[in-house]
Amino acid sequence: MQSLRLIIASVFLICAPLALLNAAAGESTPAAAKPVVVAASGAAPAAPVEQGIPQSAQSLGRNGGFVTNSMLVTWVVALGVIVFARFATRKIQEVPSGAQNFWEWLVEGLYGFLESIIGPGLVKKTFWFFATIFIFILATNWFGLIPGAGTIGWGHQGEHGFEVTRPLLRAGNADLNMTFAMAMIFFACWTVWALQFSGVKGSFLHIFGPKGDSTGVIKYLMIVVFFAVGFLEVLSIAFRPISLSFRLYGNIFAGENLLEAMSNMVQHPAWARVVFGALLPVPFYFMELLVGFIQAVVFMLLTAVFTALICTHEEEAGESHH
Amino acid sequence: MLTPMLAEMSGSIHVGLAGLGSAIGVGLVGMKASEAVGRNPGAFGKVIVLAVLGMALAEAIVFYAIFLVH
Repeated sequence: MQSLRLIIASVFLICAPLALLNAAAGESTPAAAKPVVVAASGAAPAAPVEQGIPQSAQSLGRNGGFVTNSMLVTWVVALGVIVFARFATRKIQEVPSGAQNFWEWLVEGLYGFLESIIGPGLVKKTFWFFATIFIFILATNWFGLIPGAGTIGWGHQGEHGFEVTRPLLRAGNADLNMTFAMAMIFFACWTVWALQFSGVKGSFLHIFGPKGDSTGVIKYLMIVVFFAVGFLEVLSIAFRPISLSFRLYGNIFAGENLLEAMSNMVQHPAWARVVFGALLPVPFYFMELLVGFIQAVVFMLLTAVFTALICTHEEEAGESHH
Repeated sequence: MLTPMLAEMSGSIHVGLAGLGSAIGVGLVGMKASEAVGRNPGAFGKVIVLAVLGMALAEAIVFYAIFLVH
């Protein structure tokens, strides 16, 4: 168990620079700065097409390097969460209070919630992953909403004052590399857990083998049918990392883009630009708080459900713990 | 008349269609979830978990159309 975590951690540490090099090459995102047409062109007849935030994160170094602003945010958030957890638990008390109480509430709540979804045996083995992914995604999503993320950075003098084009901090999950890395780590964990649970032969039978009782000729027909269905299942399993990563990336990137668009919507009277630039995004900030929370829950739930699907014994499938 | 109309529609019709399907899907999940809670208010916790899951899966399709095409 400890060695499994060591293997996963070392794989992650080795693959992380590779993923970052891909970010430098810019090959994993469709376009570096695809212009997003925002509906602000109705404000004045001669208003130009507005540019939203670029789809891929920008690098921090002046000449480009592999460290991007989203990467910096993930480091800051991870460090913050670890330091906060360590600080809260440095002297564990029998009756918790303050930060220790908060962490106990969070961890116990997550544990109970996951236990009701994936069952007590499986949750003991896999809780570390789901809880970490939830806390980290939630913290990263909410960090991007703090004033200063996306607005402090390098830029140039535009017509309406200083325009920041390369912010220092950008929402961590608004970078497809990050969400794809998390989805691939889940995929690696899922493979290991599936193999640990049923072995190679058991997993193969789980995907391709016939389920249910049938006798006679129907039985052989069912074997053929389930074998064909197994290929569809493999396709659906292979698509899961892509769907997980794009769901999180799309939601958070769209949220950041929306906030940027709402801030820049009113341009022309200078006083209105300042007033409405501050007021218009406020309801969308609330929406982004909700979306950040929901996307963290959804990522954790989906990965938990995928794990539970592959780690069920066939004869117990009728008594699942929903 | 059709050609000028087609010329006016600029290339994002796939996003429009994906958004249409996705939004209708999410709305259907929400409709059935509200109905289920109305019938059995005690099942709110279980219903909302399933509803959030279903909405997330339905909503993800539009992101494929936005980011994965061209």
